[in-house]
Amino acid sequence: MARMKFLCDSDRCIECNACVTACKNENEVPWGINRRRVVTINDGKAGERSISMACMHCTDAPCAAVCPVSCFYTTADAIVLHDKDLCIGCGYCFYACPFGAPQYPKVGNFGGRGKMDKCTYCAGGPQQDNTAAEYAQYGANRIAEGKLPLCAEMCSTRSLMAGDGDIIASIYKERVQKRGYGSGAWGWRTAYRETVDV
Amino acid sequence: MLIKRSEGKAARQRLSSTYQGLSAGGMDRRSFLRQAGLGGAGLAALGSFGLTTARPAAAGPTNFSQPIQRIKNICTHCSVGCTVVAEVQNGVWVGQEPAFESPINRGTHCAKGASVRELVHGDRRLKYPMKLVDGQWQRVSWEQAIEEIGDKLLEIRQKSGPDSVYWLGSAKFSNEGAYLMRKFAAFWGSNTIDHQARICHSTTVAGVSNVMGYGAQTNSYNDTRNARTMIIMGGNPAEAHPISMQHMLAGKEQNRANVIVIDPRFTRTAAHATEYVRIRPGTDIPIIWGMLWHIFENGWEDKEFIAQRVFGMDDVRKEVAKWNPREVERVTGVPEAQLKKVAQIFATQKPATLIWCMGATQKTVGTANVRAFTILLLATGNMGRPGTGANIYRGHTNVQGATDFGLDVTTLPAYYGLDEAAWRHWCRVWDVPYEWMVQRFASKALMETPGIPTTRWFDAVLLPKDQLSQPDTVKAFIAIGHGGNTVSRMPEAIKGMDALELLVVADPHPTNLSSMSNRRDNTYLLPISTQFECDGSRTASNRSLQWGSKIVDPIFECKNDYELLYLLARKFGFAQEMFKSIEVKGTQPVAESITREFNRGAISTGYSGQSPERLKLHMQRQEDFDLVTLRGRPGSPVEGEVYGLPWPCWGTPEMKHPGTHILYNTNLHVKEGGGCFRARWGVEREGKTLLAERSYSKGSELTDGYPEFTVAVLKRLGWYDELTAQEKEIIARVGGDNPDRVSWSTDLSFGIIRVALEHGCQPSGNGKARANAWNLPDPVPVHREPIYTPRTDLIADYPAIDDRRTFRLPHLAKSVQARSYSLATSFPIVLTSGRLVEYEGGGEETRSNRWLAELQQDMFVEINPADAEARGIKPGQMVWVDGVENSAKVRVKALVTDRVAKGVAFMPFHFGGWYQGEDRRGYYPPGTDPIVLGESVNTVTTYGYDPVTAMQETKVTLCQIRGA
Amino acid sequence: MHDGNENKVAERRGFLKTLGLAGGAAAAAAAPAAAQAQAPRPRKETEVEKVAARYRETDHVKAFYRTNRY
Repeated sequence: MARMKFLCDSDRCIECNACVTACKNENEVPWGINRRRVVTINDGKAGERSISMACMHCTDAPCAAVCPVSCFYTTADAIVLHDKDLCIGCGYCFYACPFGAPQYPKVGNFGGRGKMDKCTYCAGGPQQDNTAAEYAQYGANRIAEGKLPLCAEMCSTRSLMAGDGDIIASIYKERVQKRGYGSGAWGWRTAYRETVDV
Repeated sequence: MLIKRSEGKAARQRLSSTYQGLSAGGMDRRSFLRQAGLGGAGLAALGSFGLTTARPAAAGPTNFSQPIQRIKNICTHCSVGCTVVAEVQNGVWVGQEPAFESPINRGTHCAKGASVRELVHGDRRLKYPMKLVDGQWQRVSWEQAIEEIGDKLLEIRQKSGPDSVYWLGSAKFSNEGAYLMRKFAAFWGSNTIDHQARICHSTTVAGVSNVMGYGAQTNSYNDTRNARTMIIMGGNPAEAHPISMQHMLAGKEQNRANVIVIDPRFTRTAAHATEYVRIRPGTDIPIIWGMLWHIFENGWEDKEFIAQRVFGMDDVRKEVAKWNPREVERVTGVPEAQLKKVAQIFATQKPATLIWCMGATQKTVGTANVRAFTILLLATGNMGRPGTGANIYRGHTNVQGATDFGLDVTTLPAYYGLDEAAWRHWCRVWDVPYEWMVQRFASKALMETPGIPTTRWFDAVLLPKDQLSQPDTVKAFIAIGHGGNTVSRMPEAIKGMDALELLVVADPHPTNLSSMSNRRDNTYLLPISTQFECDGSRTASNRSLQWGSKIVDPIFECKNDYELLYLLARKFGFAQEMFKSIEVKGTQPVAESITREFNRGAISTGYSGQSPERLKLHMQRQEDFDLVTLRGRPGSPVEGEVYGLPWPCWGTPEMKHPGTHILYNTNLHVKEGGGCFRARWGVEREGKTLLAERSYSKGSELTDGYPEFTVAVLKRLGWYDELTAQEKEIIARVGGDNPDRVSWSTDLSFGIIRVALEHGCQPSGNGKARANAWNLPDPVPVHREPIYTPRTDLIADYPAIDDRRTFRLPHLAKSVQARSYSLATSFPIVLTSGRLVEYEGGGEETRSNRWLAELQQDMFVEINPADAEARGIKPGQMVWVDGVENSAKVRVKALVTDRVAKGVAFMPFHFGGWYQGEDRRGYYPPGTDPIVLGESVNTVTTYGYDPVTAMQETKVTLCQIRGA
Repeated sequence: MHDGNENKVAERRGFLKTLGLAGGAAAAAAAPAAAQAQAPRPRKETEVEKVAARYRETDHVKAFYRTNRY
């Protein structure tokens, strides 16, 4: 069965932030909540690289391991989702996550945290598929529509890929072979405990 | 960073292991983002601003139980021309989907394109017409607004003449809108009609067309996939044209291509280069001549290409001889070894292309720069073939089309110019008597004189009347789709605004024209729809036309550009003449009928074959076009045609010319999109031929150079009788007493073009490109130090041009440059400006988009760590940047970075709404202020104009920076 | 299905969005829409439905893969 993954080809990322606004557009994510973001290292220097980051939908997700209310679940597509009705906003998952994916809206004046929000791989949540209820709590469910996350679908340079892990790994391999360089499938060892061998 | 800095760091520590060799650390420009950084009284008030208008903006989740309509339009931001697919339910734009089938963007977008749905949601759009009454914004009806504006304009016309009204159009117009507005200005009786091209690529258009015949991108974004070497000089496509990078990076990877970035700033594009060459700002010509020095020295030039197709290269050799490696290093700072390597790669690892943008053009030597760039391409034979060419990346979505259709003070649509022959041609197309048109103008002389460029409109308001070559100063300023913070010398622009008798802003947003002046009355804002709420074609940078279909009706009380122009024409009493052959439904001109009208007249640029039907078919069949060649697939309804029928698309739509993917490509038949350099400058000069020698496009029956086709030429060739009787009759009508002089570009029958094509000939002739443009200042480009230069030691050797008069105004250069001697020590830092990916142009539209605004919340200045340390400036602190004119200063955040060299500072140009430390949010009409405001860099940019086009200098001036 | 409820959700969403438009501070405080909305809910998915595979290699998905290749 296909295993969904993200793969950011950092040799292609130009930090255009299309992935970020595509996510906002598709899921109507409010100001201050960022399911996806682009991180640049060595900014302005030789060796500058950018990487688009979001929840990587890890194998044996560390967020799920630390959640005191067990709100996380992994689908047969290997997408890590969570149930906001169960989430208590404790923030443990944020500390567990190696990618800084979980986001919390601020609630009230005392810095209280609301329910956690994160990238759903455009796969909604435990409400019925593509209902207004699902959209309101989790955003779009493109996977159920037969599509892929909009961030990857709109990526300007085809740096960010999503979909069947085997297929996107083979596309990445083909690129590395063609061009003769590659920085590796970023984050894969951490998220999926494997790399793309070329 | 989008998350809180502390969180980012915490996450990053554990993240470091996964970076796999990419070292972490360093501040990026997002590091000073605030999570929810908005506040203040202005914003708090917005919540109560009711939507009281006819049509509320709505958006929301897709309701899967309702039918979904899929409508295609084109992104309204940059010139790449990305297809936008909108999902519409019940007239509401509910979703945006990737257009995988578009050969240009293949479903992709940048941050701007991925967020365009928000524009039509439009929380901060202008909702209804407004006028300023004693300093307060009041809502008025459209009828009242048009009446009052019209009466005032007619009064000014009566009192001061038609040239006292400044008409400013937009690169965001559709082709139809641009053409209509140029026509409108003609009917009003003035050539003072301009748009953003003046401030982005006017120098490219003038410079490149004076070398090769056309002043546009010769190849395409897609074609960079074929290049083995690319030089990007004075451009940052990773931010300005992100989707172009998809093609460039694919070319880089597939061909193992050399990607060389030559720029004063280590841009995000440079981060993907194989070689980065840092130059001192304002030294482009020495770099090019320095490269050519090595090329000529080592015999790397393409001798056959030069002999057959280039005039005057020997004159260039003389100038290049002065630029030995030592002099080049003294002036530019680039060491010999690096430039020699770059020169060798460019000349020998072919095909090679040169890509440029506003770093080359927004200069006092802009026209000369782009001619030097083109000469480098010609000298190395990198022209007219796949993977080569001048890949000139234009700015706005339709700046190419708006330029082509003459939103330009120097010409009527399609570069016919302003002479009597041009006016007579268009009067025939418009079916109005030439004599009637003449009496619309103050005089026949002014009818044939270029108007006042947008870079200098405020000088035309403020200068004493006797210094202007027209009856009176400018009294009214009508900006349709144009911001106010995009021209240099803003303190003087503000004085100009304050002195106007009438200011009208017609735009989806109020623009900072509404907030920067101190006006209290006689100021109107008219809500105009975006192109997503309008039908029409737009021309991408590669000359391909794409038809955009209206996604939703104009929101609120907005009207589209066509309707606005119709209402004004009706008020002025010339609607009947102007819309004689244009269908108008109610008060709404129909886009397709405007296209058909320009198809009949815009012959010279080859805008004649692109009928609305052909363009719509291309949009429908996008998947049938090849990604690299842009050709329609065999067996499809668009077989053999080039996507978007890039001009020149010769003849009538019925002739089925496929469009021209690559200009000047002699390896193809003209009927298949081949061509040669145009024979625009006669046949001979100083005893040497200006026509091509033994070079011709494939299948041409004339196997040498030939002049432009006219009736006389047809007769000499014995081809005249291949014209049909009907064609001859039309030609006789056009030609009057002298039908022999009727040329391919004025022949409304298209017969001359048809016959030329039948014989495999290019209607515009087969000439040589000119390395020596003898009609321009500095016929062979020479280096001239910027007006404000820190290198005063070089002024004596490389002075600015002499003071002169251009465009009805005094044009200073050398006398201003003399100020550098006294300023360079107290203002030691070179200030340059450029783009950010999230914002576009003056930025009001994009800074009003909450998805984009969140990503870039502060205006900033990039300053080198050494300069920051010397001034005690800490990263992220507020600083003052002091300019050298008007004691102007701006208050911005310091971004300390190696991206800029020591002695150079950079500021983005998209901000506005702050002025010299003052937050002017309260001056916008309530509810229309952009989410993010900031100082405009143009508050501290300075005097300096290109002598050919009056392009402003925004890339090199001087400043000082201090803590605030 | 749950038409009444869904309409309500939509209305609420619209309301929240108008708030969101009022600016960042307000938006973050109100924490609307996808991040936090307390939507009245129709029947939630069962445990089996929750984890069921939904990915399909549709033409749309294939087009995405194709545009990622050279």
